[in-house]
Amino acid sequence: MIAVDKLTVAIRNLRNRSLPLQWRVTLGLSALLLLLPFFFRLDGRSHADWLQFLGSFHPLLVHLPIGMLVLLPILEFAGTTRLGLRESAAFVLYLTLASGVIALVFGILLAYGSGGTGATVRFHMWGAIALLIELLICVSVRPAWISGQQRVYPVLLAVTLLTLSWTAHQGGSLTHGNDYLTRYMPGPLKQFFPSATSASDAAYIGSVYALNIHPILDAKCVACHGAHKEKGGLQLDFYDLLTKGGKDGAVIAPRNPDQSLLLQRVTLSPKDRHFMPADGRTPLTTSEIAAIRAWILADASPTATSIPGIAKTAEHFEPPLQPVGDYNYLMNDIREMQRSEGAKLVPVSSKLSDGLILRTIDVASKFDDAQLARFERFAPFIVEAELGRTAVTDASFETLSKFKNLRALHLEGTRITGTALAKLSSLSQLTYLNLSGTNVTSNALAPLKAVPNLPRIYLFDTPAGLDSAPTNKNMRSAQ
Amino acid sequence: MKQHPLCTDCENSITPLELPIPACLKREWAAVETRRRFLGRSGKVLGWAALAGLFSELGLRDLARAADVNSPSAGTANPLGLPHFAPKAKRAIYLFMSGGPPQMDLFDYKPNLAAQFNKDMPDSVRGNQQLTGMTAGQAHFPVAPSHWPFGQHGQTGTWVSSLLPHTARMIDDLTIIKTMNTDAINHEPAIMLMNTGNMNAGKPCLGAWLAYGLGGMNDNLPTFIVLQTKTNPKENNQPVSSRLWSSGFLSSEYAGVGLRSGADPVLYLADPAGVDRDVRREMLDTVEQINRQTLAEVGDPETNARIAQYEMAFRMQSSVPELTDLSKEPQSTWDLYGPDARQPGTFAYNCLLARRMAERGVRFTQIYKRGWDVHGDVVGVLPTLCKETDQGTYALVTDLKRRGLLDDTLVIWAGEFGRTVYSQGGLSQENYGRDHHPRCFTTWMAGGGVRPGIAYGETDDYSYNIVKDPVHVRDFNATILHCLGIDHSRFAYKFQGLDQKLTSPVPAHVVDGLLA
Repeated sequence: MIAVDKLTVAIRNLRNRSLPLQWRVTLGLSALLLLLPFFFRLDGRSHADWLQFLGSFHPLLVHLPIGMLVLLPILEFAGTTRLGLRESAAFVLYLTLASGVIALVFGILLAYGSGGTGATVRFHMWGAIALLIELLICVSVRPAWISGQQRVYPVLLAVTLLTLSWTAHQGGSLTHGNDYLTRYMPGPLKQFFPSATSASDAAYIGSVYALNIHPILDAKCVACHGAHKEKGGLQLDFYDLLTKGGKDGAVIAPRNPDQSLLLQRVTLSPKDRHFMPADGRTPLTTSEIAAIRAWILADASPTATSIPGIAKTAEHFEPPLQPVGDYNYLMNDIREMQRSEGAKLVPVSSKLSDGLILRTIDVASKFDDAQLARFERFAPFIVEAELGRTAVTDASFETLSKFKNLRALHLEGTRITGTALAKLSSLSQLTYLNLSGTNVTSNALAPLKAVPNLPRIYLFDTPAGLDSAPTNKNMRSAQ
Repeated sequence: MKQHPLCTDCENSITPLELPIPACLKREWAAVETRRRFLGRSGKVLGWAALAGLFSELGLRDLARAADVNSPSAGTANPLGLPHFAPKAKRAIYLFMSGGPPQMDLFDYKPNLAAQFNKDMPDSVRGNQQLTGMTAGQAHFPVAPSHWPFGQHGQTGTWVSSLLPHTARMIDDLTIIKTMNTDAINHEPAIMLMNTGNMNAGKPCLGAWLAYGLGGMNDNLPTFIVLQTKTNPKENNQPVSSRLWSSGFLSSEYAGVGLRSGADPVLYLADPAGVDRDVRREMLDTVEQINRQTLAEVGDPETNARIAQYEMAFRMQSSVPELTDLSKEPQSTWDLYGPDARQPGTFAYNCLLARRMAERGVRFTQIYKRGWDVHGDVVGVLPTLCKETDQGTYALVTDLKRRGLLDDTLVIWAGEFGRTVYSQGGLSQENYGRDHHPRCFTTWMAGGGVRPGIAYGETDDYSYNIVKDPVHVRDFNATILHCLGIDHSRFAYKFQGLDQKLTSPVPAHVVDGLLA
């Protein structure tokens, strides 16, 4: 409220200095625009339905001023040769301003009515207010530019257009998600926008971070701060992203737990609106908070294997699976496949980087080499291929050798003879191979010795399984 | 009518839709309060049309439809975000030993008891425990040591009763839990607690939770199948009801589908004479259209379940005959499962079906074997029970293992409680009886996610109290969910304003010591 008082005083002072009417109006309107958010305080609660109803027209209305504003420099430029256009530019400028104010009002109704809050909403709103004030000034300085007294207007117009781009980007992020620009960007372009998906914690296996800290974050935070939802621009599912922080900056201050935003947020009073986990999700326990505190105090290291104050508990620690990379851009095809009748790709878990399972059970008898070849574009993301009782033959090993992240391969009950099993030797992740009920002989198995870690080969009901001595001492062969 | 001080309009009573309660509760109320349920419950004679009109006025229809977002059939790839993490087991087979097997006669070896024969169990062991009406009146609680010798088996040297020679051969593959404990001392509450995590009816069972959370792996067979074993009239068969595989407050499409234990697993499976597949298809398409109309008019989510089940039944007409056609099973199968397996409805036959279902992508199979309620004549009945189940159980685990299926299948063997060390009724050198015992009992798991070749936990010398590492039913269920990639504390369904879970409301823990 102090700010408001100061403004009124400033306006009064200005009035005494007999400013031209044009500028008085400009200042008055700017002050009104600046005050608007104080009338409609975005408190995160939703308000009357009719506000939301009106607000929902904001996306419709907002594109009119955008279009006209983009038109404006074109008209001004073309006006250098065709004077008539310059006259219309003035009209378009006024129209832009008027429609912009309407769009802003509806936008604020939308945010206020639906309880929208958060950084992006606020950036979008203040961007729009700044934009309108710049337009107001444009209106005031344009006559001076036309008469050749001043050259501020073109610069100001350029600034206005920049403000427009930024504000519109915030709006786009609100509607389509933070990554709407980069999501479907072609690979070569994407490398200039380092995204979160390349992160991996594989290097930290066995550390206190991996054993004690990451599981807490995974259980309590990642639901909202993860690859699926990225509230506040913060992702906590990998160490690199954790240290990167979110929209409000870094969340971890090494050696300084009290300055670490992450710890502050989880230790607030549960009634505080900044308290995390939000929306009544299970809060962190005191021992979990103590563990995070001790870890931050010890430099928040991802590699340290012992930290005072943290008991090494997880006896059965599971090393994280080798992440398969980002296949978000294929997600529409994968969903489509799941709805149709045919072979399906199913995520191993909610963590997309755990990879996909190729499931053929519903169409097994019709699933042949050609069908499998069609899955080549998904090859690096498939970690388990359920090809049991399908019509695939030895010819499929060529395709399968491209499934470089394959961990489990089911070929039980197929017609393969194993002549091309050597092609699997490039699959470094393969740990499970089911050849039960095939015609694989023990000779055909010899090349599998080259596969680095393949402890589980199933040979039930095969010529190889009937031989008394398995070729690999780890092989389980059941007779 | 007495007017509430805050009520200004006592003519029209207020509905939950007008109360200042969260919108999610209103949606849930709307879903429950749809026409069918309203009629079913109140039994009031009201015109259907009038009701439908009334409810659409209240906006119930749309609200009910909105409540449907709780259902995973919304069409996206992974709507519930499950499994939470990469699972060790994709499917589970639950061998349910209904009645309560006597742990000290099978797995919980107590050699010192022989010296205690017919001596009264010390009062300090029993403490202030309230017994069942069947033995509370007994003047004495004579210790009845197991009638059968135990032997050490496998590389782990685990003690197993001579009643289970086949199980003993695969003992290194099992994760034995000696310290299971439950809250209930009678069959119905105990068996409900084991299956649904709650003693009262109305909660979804483990299989329904899995069907809801993980969905099916196969479009042509149900996600959750229940097989009943034919009863033996010489045994004390406690009733097993469909409550145990019910979907509770979840949509009924997640309930277990029971196959009959006779020669015909599903009655009237074949199309009647003169009706070919196309006619059947056409009929079902029309029925679906009508159902969809009903859904649009009334908005009862149960109509969705009905549509799904008609479709499943149609597909089962071809998939079930293929499933139960054992003619292509090689001789090695019959050698393994034994001669019983050729008889539909026996435990061994059901175990063979369970293996075939695992191969065909059934997520959860539960086999019920009744008759373990050995209050008397343990010496007479227990060998029969063991003979009926031992080989089938061994064959199932071994068969899954040799076919490479045990890596991602979790096999569970459990009853609802254990039995007392003291004899119910008379104790003689030749025979004894055993009453219900909730304080400790033995179960085991095998396969995906659990650590093979261990016996977890310790009981006291009387197999009466737990000395070390107790595993409550809720912990047991939490551990099963963990093996299937589900964090039990995050796997919830909003109902009656609560985040309902298989393991709620008392806190449960995944038993780390059981995990591989």
